[in-house]
Amino acid sequence: MKRFFDAYDAEASRYYDEVIAREGGARSHYEKLLRRFAMFSHEDVKTRREMANIFFRNQGITFTVYGLEEGIERIFPFDLIPRIIPSAEWSLIERGLTQRITALNLFLYDIYHTQKILRDKVIPAELVLGSPHFRREFVGVTPPLGIYVHVVGSDIIRDREGRYLVLEDNLRTPSGVSYMLQNRQAMKRAFPVLFSQYKVRPVEDYPQELLRTLQEASSSVPGDPNVVVLTPGIYNSAYFEHSFLARQMGVELTEGRDLVVNDNIVYKRTTRGLERVDVIYRRIDDAFLDPLCFRPDSKLGVAGLINAYRKGNVTLANAIGTGIADDKVIYSFVPKMIRYYLGEDPVLENVPTWLPGNPWEMKYILEHLGELVVKSANESGGYGMLVGPESTLEEQERFRELIVSNPRNYIAQPTISLSRHPSVLNDSELYGCHIDLRPYVLTGKKTTIVPGGLTRVALKRGSLVVNSSQGGGSKDTWVVDE
Amino acid sequence: MLSRVAESLFWMSRYVERAENTARFLDVNFNLLLDLNRITTVESPECWIALILVTSDRERFESAYGDYGAEPVTDYLVFNRQNPNSIISCIGMARENARSVIESISSEMWEQINNLYHYLQSATPQSVQNDPFSFYREIKNASHLFQGITDSTFPRSEGWDFMQVAKYLERADNTARLVDVKYHMLETTRQEHEEVVSRSVDIIEWMAVLKSCSALEAFRKRYLARIEPRSIMEFLILDRSFPRSINFSVCAAKEALWRLSGGSGGRSLNSADRLIGKMEAELSFTTMDDISDTGLHHYLERLERGIREVGEEAHLTYFASHTPEIEPFPDKDRNLPATRRKAEWREAQQQQQQAYCP
Repeated sequence: MKRFFDAYDAEASRYYDEVIAREGGARSHYEKLLRRFAMFSHEDVKTRREMANIFFRNQGITFTVYGLEEGIERIFPFDLIPRIIPSAEWSLIERGLTQRITALNLFLYDIYHTQKILRDKVIPAELVLGSPHFRREFVGVTPPLGIYVHVVGSDIIRDREGRYLVLEDNLRTPSGVSYMLQNRQAMKRAFPVLFSQYKVRPVEDYPQELLRTLQEASSSVPGDPNVVVLTPGIYNSAYFEHSFLARQMGVELTEGRDLVVNDNIVYKRTTRGLERVDVIYRRIDDAFLDPLCFRPDSKLGVAGLINAYRKGNVTLANAIGTGIADDKVIYSFVPKMIRYYLGEDPVLENVPTWLPGNPWEMKYILEHLGELVVKSANESGGYGMLVGPESTLEEQERFRELIVSNPRNYIAQPTISLSRHPSVLNDSELYGCHIDLRPYVLTGKKTTIVPGGLTRVALKRGSLVVNSSQGGGSKDTWVVDE
Repeated sequence: MLSRVAESLFWMSRYVERAENTARFLDVNFNLLLDLNRITTVESPECWIALILVTSDRERFESAYGDYGAEPVTDYLVFNRQNPNSIISCIGMARENARSVIESISSEMWEQINNLYHYLQSATPQSVQNDPFSFYREIKNASHLFQGITDSTFPRSEGWDFMQVAKYLERADNTARLVDVKYHMLETTRQEHEEVVSRSVDIIEWMAVLKSCSALEAFRKRYLARIEPRSIMEFLILDRSFPRSINFSVCAAKEALWRLSGGSGGRSLNSADRLIGKMEAELSFTTMDDISDTGLHHYLERLERGIREVGEEAHLTYFASHTPEIEPFPDKDRNLPATRRKAEWREAQQQQQQAYCP
């Protein structure tokens, strides 16, 4: 009978394979997994895969695909083979992200207060002050504990040598954490024996940690602060996650229309009248939060919310204006921020980044469009991107014009061949798919990272784009103690 | 509890009950026509028009289909998505409401509604024509299963009471409409067919009315085999123990509303409490003679209006309070609120998405 891993070709000379070392043979932390999978036939794996799929469907873990009359609900593709991170590597990631988020919070505080880093010319002032996400009107407004970003999802990749690099930071409303938790449930059901052979660190306490972080961020008087999750509603593609987190934390899931502001205090409308709200974990962008302050056509927001926030009567997590640090141009300065604010060398490096704003870098970018990845500074979800080696000449031409006409809005990076991980394609074939890692960082009085995160996998041959909107899926991520 | 959550639970419950009632009407009508095939055929329009009258949808139906008959009426009441009261619309909206409060209901409740929704998606007019009995039984059983699951998995809290209010108001309203329309229809046929209609046909028709409320056995136990219009009316309107009678339903709705406001303890009543209390008292002390004096149609119409007003008051008290501009109560013509809002909200909620995607 054909065994499951028999036909796997790691192509380890060309890529960094997470499982198979370059010199051949499995990396030590994958040995038990390979031994276990060697006992499975393709049929066995298929059966377990169906078990997992039924679990996802029954739980209603779906995301909505747009553009069609009735939004279609799909299951977020799940790959059965877990990604394993040894604890030594994890502690590097943990230290690196803690350092990074600490610096980013200091940066945001600085930008919305004295702007010392701009006056010291570490970052060109026009890049920050000219960003569409810079909220001038919030200069001088201090959120509780001085924390701007309570929840961050940073995307980490590994290059050809296996070095961990930070690809981007999501500081607005990072999504996907519910999949981290659900993938773990599905794996435990599908592979109980394999799971018990590893000392996998638990991720299940994420909702408690999130709630603690949100409660700590409350500015209000003693007593249990009233926390709510604010969602755009059931037609939003991440609605499942919003309701999942609210349920797990045991707090109310609210829409904009459930909240009212009276005398700069935020209340929720209940069947017993109004109840005060202290902390809002909002999954709505800045621009839609308050029609009186930002987009007047927003139907998702709460009129008057911003004034209540300004008065310090309600905490928003994340705070307003964090999008400037999310900007990919500003991203390229994070290592400098770390040195500037903390006086330390960055534990995790950035991916090298060229900014077309500098004439010589612009020249380099335009000469090497075929090799580089060009990204728009403020898009997410894999949109507005040129992957040089996979692009046509027309596409390159289009981006050339875009970059020249608006250099501030683009960055370029070398095409990094993301590390690969054996994954099941089309139900049968084992193939080395490219992956990244999104750990979730929580910052209250201290910074906490639940060991693991969402490993996203590009479930298409050779594709480097892992976003769910572009055919990506996910894997369970095991941080293991040896 | 958030007003929006309470409102969604209310409508979820009400839509399921409405779908079940529609299935009952259709099911019994088929049965009845088979029993009556001596004087009429399954296709004759006058046998179907009553179903449309029960749901007060005459204009909408006629503009879409024109002729009454088994096929168009079934299609309209089961599959038509433009008809907000069709079974498929009701279950769609029940599911939509359930989804918006998925964190507040048990996962078993969600799965049951979801299953019923998918069952309806897979049904075709052809399959219903071929085997109407199995189809309607499936809908009724699914509704009963949902209620049973709710009964055994949902905490007896505010949310429970809102679901009970919704279910019993809807049921009382449906029974009132059914009795009203059937009485009218049967009286007319009797006059028209005086010479051919034997006493047995009359009985069969009235039995059908009882059957559509699953009331035949219960009725027989109470009145033995004396199937007469007057005792049937009495049973369906005034009986205090049969769970689909108007009196029982109003009483159950009152209990739930009073629990919600704590009104039974002699504290001040809100308008919904007062209205439902008045209705209950009146039903309890009314006799068939009183109803005859008022006129059946007139009496039932007043009941239906009362039920609607209770719904409106509950809406204002629990769902629409503290809303900057209070929305007019949306159930005036049995057009349910979420139907109207759905497109609007989908558009609004996708705002943020569109901002992301260039």
